Amino acid sequence: MSPERTRLDVSALPKVVFGHRSLLWWGTLGFAVIEGFTLLLMVASYFYLRTNELAWPPGRTPNPDLLVPTINTVLLLLVIVPMRAADRAAKRFDRRGVARGLLVATALTVGVAVLRWFELLALNVRWDAHGYASVAWGVVVLHATLVAVDVFETATLGVLFASGKARKKHFPDASDAADYQYFLSAVWVPLYFIVYWGPRLL
Amino acid sequence: MSSTEAQVTAGLLDAEGRAEMERTWDDGPGLRGWLRATDHKSVAKRYVATAFLFFVLGGVEALVMRVQLARPENGLVDPELYNQLFTMHGTTMMFLFGVPVQLAMAIYLVPLMVGTRNIAFPRLNAFGYWVYLIGGLLLYSGFVLNTGPDGGWFNYVPLSGPQYSPGKRIDVWAQTVTFTEIAALVAAVELIVTVLKQRAPGMSLNRLPLYVWAVLVTAFVVLFAMPSVALASMMLALDRLVGTHFFNPAEGGDPLLWQHLFWFFGHPEVYIMFIPATGFVSEIIPVFARRKIFGHTALVLALVATGFLSFGLWVHHMFTTGLPQLGQSFFTAASLMIAIPSGVQVFCWIATLWAGRPRFDTPLLFVLGFIVLFTLGGITGVMVASVPFDQQAHDTHFVVAHLHYVQIGAFVFPLFAAFYYWFPKITGRMLSEALGKWNFWLFFIGVNVTFFPLHFLGLMGMTRRVYTYLPETGWGPLNFVATVGAFTIAASALLFVANVFRSLRRGAPAGDDPWGSHTLEWGTSSPPPAYNYLHIPVVQGLYPLWERTPDRPVVTGMGTERREVLLTTVLDAEPDAVYQHPGPSEAPLLAALAVGVTFVGGIFTTWAFVVGPALLFPALLRWFWTQERHEGPRTEGEEPA
Amino acid sequence: MSAATRRTWPAIPVAILLAACDREFSATPPAGPQAERISGLTGYLAWTGTAVFLAVVAFLLYALWRGRRRAENAAGPAAERTLTLWVGGAVAVTTLILAVTLVLNFQTGRALAEFAEPDALVIRVTGHQWWWQVDYQDPDYSRRFTTANEIHIPVGRRVRVEVQSRDVIHSFWAPNLHGKVDLIPGYTATTYLRADRPGVYHGRCAEYCGMQHARMDFRVIAEPPEKFAAWYEGQLKSATPPADSVRQAGRQVFLSKGCALCHTVRGTPAGSRVGPDLTHLATRRTIAAGTLPNTRGHLGGWVSDPQKIKPGAKMPPNQLAPNELHALLGYLESLK
Repeated sequence: MSPERTRLDVSALPKVVFGHRSLLWWGTLGFAVIEGFTLLLMVASYFYLRTNELAWPPGRTPNPDLLVPTINTVLLLLVIVPMRAADRAAKRFDRRGVARGLLVATALTVGVAVLRWFELLALNVRWDAHGYASVAWGVVVLHATLVAVDVFETATLGVLFASGKARKKHFPDASDAADYQYFLSAVWVPLYFIVYWGPRLL
Repeated sequence: MSSTEAQVTAGLLDAEGRAEMERTWDDGPGLRGWLRATDHKSVAKRYVATAFLFFVLGGVEALVMRVQLARPENGLVDPELYNQLFTMHGTTMMFLFGVPVQLAMAIYLVPLMVGTRNIAFPRLNAFGYWVYLIGGLLLYSGFVLNTGPDGGWFNYVPLSGPQYSPGKRIDVWAQTVTFTEIAALVAAVELIVTVLKQRAPGMSLNRLPLYVWAVLVTAFVVLFAMPSVALASMMLALDRLVGTHFFNPAEGGDPLLWQHLFWFFGHPEVYIMFIPATGFVSEIIPVFARRKIFGHTALVLALVATGFLSFGLWVHHMFTTGLPQLGQSFFTAASLMIAIPSGVQVFCWIATLWAGRPRFDTPLLFVLGFIVLFTLGGITGVMVASVPFDQQAHDTHFVVAHLHYVQIGAFVFPLFAAFYYWFPKITGRMLSEALGKWNFWLFFIGVNVTFFPLHFLGLMGMTRRVYTYLPETGWGPLNFVATVGAFTIAASALLFVANVFRSLRRGAPAGDDPWGSHTLEWGTSSPPPAYNYLHIPVVQGLYPLWERTPDRPVVTGMGTERREVLLTTVLDAEPDAVYQHPGPSEAPLLAALAVGVTFVGGIFTTWAFVVGPALLFPALLRWFWTQERHEGPRTEGEEPA
Repeated sequence: MSAATRRTWPAIPVAILLAACDREFSATPPAGPQAERISGLTGYLAWTGTAVFLAVVAFLLYALWRGRRRAENAAGPAAERTLTLWVGGAVAVTTLILAVTLVLNFQTGRALAEFAEPDALVIRVTGHQWWWQVDYQDPDYSRRFTTANEIHIPVGRRVRVEVQSRDVIHSFWAPNLHGKVDLIPGYTATTYLRADRPGVYHGRCAEYCGMQHARMDFRVIAEPPEKFAAWYEGQLKSATPPADSVRQAGRQVFLSKGCALCHTVRGTPAGSRVGPDLTHLATRRTIAAGTLPNTRGHLGGWVSDPQKIKPGAKMPPNQLAPNELHALLGYLESLK
């Protein structure tokens, strides 16, 4: 007979937790780090290629337009508002609030994705013109890929909550989606300044 | 049943509870179960086996090259094939063997060593394996169909650009790299989260085993190194497929941008293979020296320092490109500095052996071989870190000798030590010690006979990546010796394979803890059950099995009908929440196939970037909407929102 | 320590192995000041490294030997303190050696960098897949000329070599004279050479550059100044028109059968820069960038089917009638 085993009873621990207590939050953070660092390296490449040219944009390439990119940047920052609402609703387990926030955010993000095409046109140069064009397109398209993934994620979660199929354990997912959205919006701001204002200043 | 016995067993699982755990954690029988498996041990085993298969293929490529070089003007292979062979060899060893096998070993060991039931994000883990497999199949299909890459594993532009490498060879390389990056990145995220959030209660960070520390550091290195090659290979693919000019000097691009991005990844990659290997060594030495490791804290700091410094070395691959001298000085200093944490580790290991009572079983032999080879490789590393010396040695066989001493000595030897050490835990049977000793000595002699002469060939002016050389060079005899050595290594590898097959069928039964080890995994059965531990152990010290008290505290109160794991706090590993892991699923395989369609198809048509994601979307829906079997009463969190 | 002894120590282990091999191909004996400087550093690195390696292995073996004979672990605070002292000492010694190494590296690097000289002879080397174009520069344009794969330099004079590439990355390496320098498209890099002894020094491309990277050699021929000057004057001249009828026919073959589409022979209408300049082909020691000795037999084989000798080379096979080939070879041999 072995001596009595000491027991640590965990049956009272919660099963639905938010933020850094949740597993998925850490996963999301990991992927945000990967994506953020990839974008940083793309920006580093942008400045590296800058050093090879006398003028930036090189030759007779015009500066990028500012109107559409500025509107879209504001729009992307605006997505934070409904996402923040969804985040808060999730933390008080308010299904309708989450659904509303996510669906509004989805609509806005779709708008961002559509405007992104005009944002590329606003670069005023095709990707295959020269190194400047390639790397400027590279920065914008790379971020656009993340926006596209984000649209699907937000839309799917939105439908899940709106349809009533969601369960309590999905609330932290909505909260994590919001955190990812903050990252996506915030990281765009420096990219916007570099790509669209940079050629005027560099 | 007496009342005291009832009290003793209260909360502990009985036979019925154990049977239910078996049912809950089983991935299902047959081929269907195999394709849907999400148990970290199942995934890791196929991951290691696949990586080892690629190791053998890469070795065969090396043998063919060694035969070609055995004498001057040899005609075994033509330059077209030779150039593919060294590209395949490098790409295979780095992308399909080195990094994957280390991550695979970590996927097997880390959840067991930290005392949890499965890796974090088990479906993502299965997905990672499938993606890796697709990458490997792509590379070798290309090779068999005479579309094997021939740009070198480093694939410098403009040689690999659209103008000088038309055809699909380089695209095959670029997409293979994409697949292996995805696999490595997802594994890194899973491992970090497993280590930070799923440790057994009591395993605060200062009680983390050194191997787990090593994996944690490695996973962070992966996180910051892999994006660089991902970006570079994406830019290369775009230059080749849609006419961008990232690397085209005629249009404002820059070939050196490739080298910076590639080596910003490429140098840390060496450490992605090396750091976990030092973790193996730090686990094995105390067990076979029969005492606690000397300098635990110093070893942890050395691991962390190595991880950081590995990002400060990349330019030492570019000392001949004419970069400014000040910059070069910085990278020389960093390259020399990384020798200090490596020295700390070697000295602590020797000190542990010094103060212990070493037992010379095969795992320790491989570790001792490692110390010798790694010291030699490290010293030649200090040599090539010198800019003036490197201007002579760069791209000669001196570097070939150096890198093989480091890669084989500091990565493959510890890996073999780990194979011998953990094989009993993984299979329940011991590997043969007699064969193991032959395996070790042939390998050790073979490596030295093969690679030591290459130092001299390098100093004699023999450049790398040459398919032949003239008789007047005088390089013939040493090359012949090296070729003989290569066959010695091959014989040793064959012995290992024979040992594995022999032991799988009639190796001696291992029992739970054949070596008298100290980490948690030796406290469960061999092989471990699907759920790893019937009761999650509570950790009481840095050496859990050596330091545990007679009452052997465990966690109770977790459900048996769901795949529940315990989440603990990041620093102190206090119990914090119970989290439900998803069950087995075919969705990871489907998603991997969709990713495969995207990138393999992308070689031929840009439509693949529309079709692939369109296929991915339903696979992901399946992935997230079939998280668990909905039997039995709902638990907290499963009620409708 | 004298410069001569310093030069010899790295060579000790290597010299034994090199005894049998052709001196021209041996990369080890330095023939110029930079190679000598690097060789001295190599000696320091190699011998220090050997000492460190032997020390570590000795400690390891001693540790194992001690441990084997012990019945009990060395434990307790006293034992730990001893270990700490030993490990700390070893780390301190390592750090010290690395610091000394770093200083020596910087010293050598600076010495190499200070080798520049304004009135050096200037040679521009351009890498091609898979041969070397060599342009001798001079402020006076009439004193410039182009050759291939063989670089003559005067002994004792500094030479500035400007390297560049028009296709992929190559690397210029003549190990007896200096370390290598990469030829990167879009960049021009500069390196300085000086040979202190006359001789033929072997060089090769050190960066993988495609199918025939293995066969992209060159030679640096260091000659006494007066011999170099004579060679220089010879190279400046256009090709002498052939005197006899066979060679005249050979020239006709050269001009009409495609050779002129890629090659230059100064003094004839052939002026294309795709392949090597052949104006003084007969003065060179080898053909096809060091692949074959420059003899009539090898030249004939090369002209007829370069792909057999150097698969992937940019030169196509030439189907010539026997008498045409005979005439062409006669003409090529006359290009002195």
